[in-house]
Amino acid sequence: MNLLELRHVSKNYATESTPVPALNGVSLNVSEGEFVALVGRSGCGKSTLLNLAGAMDLPTSGDVLIDGQSTSALSEAALTKLRREKVGFIFQSFQLLPTLSVVENIELPLLLAHRSGARQSALDRLGSVGLEGYDARMPYQLSGGQMQRVAIARALVHQPRLLLADEPTGNLDSVTGDSVLELLLHISRQHRMTIIMATHSREAAAIAGTVLTMRDGRFVE
Amino acid sequence: MIRIFYRLILRPLRSEPARTALMITAVALGVAVVLAIEMAGEAAAGSFRSSVETLAGRADFEVTSAGGVTPETLARLATLPYPLTIRPRIEDYAMLGGSDRVVPFIGVDLLSDALQGATGSPETFNSDDSIWVGDALKLKAGDRVHLTVNDRALDCTVRGVLANSGEVIVMDLGPATRILERNGTLDRILVEVPPGKPLEQWQSTIQAALPRGMNLAPQGSRTDENRKMLAAFRWNLRVLSYIALVVGAFLIYNTISVSVVRRRTEVGILRAIGASRSTVLVGFLAEAACLGLVGGAFGIVLGRLMAVGSVRLVAATVESLYVSSTPAPIALDWRVAALGLLIGVAVAVVSALAPAWEASRVAPVEAMSSGRREHEARVHSTRDLLFAILLAAAAWLASRQGPIGGKPVFGYLAALCLVASSALAVPMLVSGLARLSGHALTAVFGVEALLASRSVVASLRRTSVLVAALSTAVAMLAAVGIMVGSFRETVVLWMEDRLQADLYLRPAGPAGADRHPTMSADIAAKLRTLPEIAGVDMFRAYDISYQGLPAVLGAGEARIAGRYGRRPFLSGTAPGLVFEQLEGRDNVIVSEPFAYKHHVRAGDTLTLTLSGKPAAFHVLDIYNDYSNERGYIIMDRATLLRYLPDPAASNAAVYLKPGVSLEDGRRAVESALAHRRILVFTNRSLREEAIRVFDRTFAITYALEAVAVFVAVMGVAGALLALVIDRRREFGLLRFLGGATGQVRRIIFFEAGLLGLLANVAGIILGFFLSLLLIYVINRQSFGWTIQFHWPVAVLVSALSIVYLATILAAVFPARMAARLIPIEVIHED
Repeated sequence: MNLLELRHVSKNYATESTPVPALNGVSLNVSEGEFVALVGRSGCGKSTLLNLAGAMDLPTSGDVLIDGQSTSALSEAALTKLRREKVGFIFQSFQLLPTLSVVENIELPLLLAHRSGARQSALDRLGSVGLEGYDARMPYQLSGGQMQRVAIARALVHQPRLLLADEPTGNLDSVTGDSVLELLLHISRQHRMTIIMATHSREAAAIAGTVLTMRDGRFVE
Repeated sequence: MIRIFYRLILRPLRSEPARTALMITAVALGVAVVLAIEMAGEAAAGSFRSSVETLAGRADFEVTSAGGVTPETLARLATLPYPLTIRPRIEDYAMLGGSDRVVPFIGVDLLSDALQGATGSPETFNSDDSIWVGDALKLKAGDRVHLTVNDRALDCTVRGVLANSGEVIVMDLGPATRILERNGTLDRILVEVPPGKPLEQWQSTIQAALPRGMNLAPQGSRTDENRKMLAAFRWNLRVLSYIALVVGAFLIYNTISVSVVRRRTEVGILRAIGASRSTVLVGFLAEAACLGLVGGAFGIVLGRLMAVGSVRLVAATVESLYVSSTPAPIALDWRVAALGLLIGVAVAVVSALAPAWEASRVAPVEAMSSGRREHEARVHSTRDLLFAILLAAAAWLASRQGPIGGKPVFGYLAALCLVASSALAVPMLVSGLARLSGHALTAVFGVEALLASRSVVASLRRTSVLVAALSTAVAMLAAVGIMVGSFRETVVLWMEDRLQADLYLRPAGPAGADRHPTMSADIAAKLRTLPEIAGVDMFRAYDISYQGLPAVLGAGEARIAGRYGRRPFLSGTAPGLVFEQLEGRDNVIVSEPFAYKHHVRAGDTLTLTLSGKPAAFHVLDIYNDYSNERGYIIMDRATLLRYLPDPAASNAAVYLKPGVSLEDGRRAVESALAHRRILVFTNRSLREEAIRVFDRTFAITYALEAVAVFVAVMGVAGALLALVIDRRREFGLLRFLGGATGQVRRIIFFEAGLLGLLANVAGIILGFFLSLLLIYVINRQSFGWTIQFHWPVAVLVSALSIVYLATILAAVFPARMAARLIPIEVIHED
């Protein structure tokens, strides 16, 4: 069964004069455990696709189904619940909250979902990304690579089925970027995690099982 | 330059209209309150003229004397070989029938006074029912008017309307003397001298011709006395009116600080492309000046509107405590308008100096760095705490100093030092308490509380200013609440001790700080014959001038006061012992405000001129009194009658025999005095009346505090809006991480709640110390009252709860705004 399904999805962004199309009739099936890389230049629609796939936005037309549920049919509360249970996000600029320590950042999704045992799960996740003992540090005390690892731990702490990564290596040097990609590959393999990663880099995309190229809101061959 | 100013300063202000509007309103309210109090003060007490001084016309001198001017004085003046214009007057008050309206009732020699509109024949002039009325009373010739004068009811006919004379009732001297039972004694003689000789010469010539004890002073001396007496009241009110402005200043500081933080990179770029430090400094100061100018302009309009309500409150206080004075029209002239603009701009620019200076120090290299967060965190809590301690010490030192020119200048300086000290200590308090409470709050309220408390600490600089602003308003509210509550409790306890009689009688005619209507002399004898009555203490009060300030000379029956008095004197002596020495001798006791104002101590000697006879009185002791700020000199009734043999009494205290019920006693008194217009109060109703007057007197202070709190709460709303804008990425991220919109809203509410809590904690601590200053330094040095400290718990709890609730409500709009942020837009902004 497909974990994620996009059926003829279009997305237009309204501007003052005319609507700007970001996605143009895109269809995509991603099955459980698949690692998909979306490649393309800035503005080709990668981030829009990730937002739709993560139930952060709704399509203008077409259908987005996550684990069989159409996001367009869900209420705001149901969409929030869906994200809490099934989706994890990783961002290019890490997006760690500077006021929280490492472990507090990681446990945030569990706390927002009112789940118990948040601290222990967060510490376990921290260990799984190779940062054991870093729990009390503040984000500004970490390197870029370490921050992205913490962000990955946070994205996984609530055991989502779908991990969406938007340019996860975009702010990192090549060595650190490679280690983050290895970590993602490891997660994909070990946990049979479904991952969709948007990237500029063909080299980065090469680790994915499926590489899709996008241009002007469409997939190209 | 103008273009740069528009792009860098005005455009950002325009981009956040709600926040800009809030800040402008804050300044406008601060300015409005100051102007409203200024205009109301001028209108309510601005003329400083007692309303009986109306119709004085042009005169150079006035002859007065404690207890009245003797008929002999008039005769002497009339026989002087100079072409003097002499106008004798009797002054009292009358209550217009069917209303509580009190107007001056003046007896003048209508034949010689030539008042415009006072026409009539000698027969109508001499009639006991003929009156002439001021045009403001809106009566016409021929109208019948029912009046209450002292304890007498009169039915009069209006014989004419006096042009341009306000609210006044005039009667010819002859009938007025009869009705007021003055036996020829006058209240004042106005004297006009011919031109050509210096007034000083005339004064010594005329004074030499007057009988001993008659006081000749330039006309308006009484007005000067009132001005002096009211100075402290107006000074204190003016200072209170500046609180909202101080709170507004904190908020301007905060606004400009946020502006600087947000535009640090922008400033760096400007500096990198050639802008000088002074350009940056002037730019930010201009932003503040814009807020101040617009706020000041709105403040002028708002102030004029607020003055209408304020004048009523201020006039009520002036009437209760100082002088009967009809409020003048509120005057908004160009000086007031200029003052409004000046205050608005000055407060804004001064508040913005520090952040604007900091902006001008931004190095061009910061254009390339993202130093914003680091900068925000740069708060020198420990250094600030040291300064706070130094300022607190300075406040303590200042509080130990005496007044300057009768004004508690050092007291206010101490209060200012305390406010500054508290503002500097707030960062430590905020970070300490937020950290301490963070875990507890998280455990109870969840992740939203954790994020809110962390945000408060992370934005310490801005939250500290906010907490300082709100806590200053809360502190002033608490301090004034404690002071007024303590004063109220002190008065209640004082009344319990002081008011021992069962019934109190006074003429139905209006009473006031300078009005002492009298009851007919035969009342005492009538009362004493009643079988229900054990004793009657007849009290007479005269409004006098002592050492250039108004005071009250009073006399009661020392024997009875000694028998029933409970409250010890300030020296600790029992009342019985003091009153025993008062009986029939030239001894007096004085009230605490009198002693304070005139530096009188027990054992001193006061010289008073009574009915032309100077006499020395030995001060036995000083007693607490809260009924009158003018101050009392009290002697035994027998002593007073020796000097001023008018037996009429201003009021009477009636003690019932044991076993006589209050109702029976009251009925007996009322039926015995049925033909007189006399009000009979029970002990309880008198106390209730006194407390009602007390509460009315302090209503204005609460109104001022409320505005200051309102300004602070608006500041919180503005700051929360800024916070939402600055933290929008965080709120967007939370949505990505599974946060619901409700949770985002809750974070804002928790943050507002935390700010409110911190402000209340800081405010109540600061408020406690400010209340000590108000009670023991400022009030004491201004008015001379001893107030016992008391916690008005109910008032404080309700006031603080309202402030807290208002702070939470201030978060409604920002919270809604935070919940409506579109996560994918804000998260990808960078």
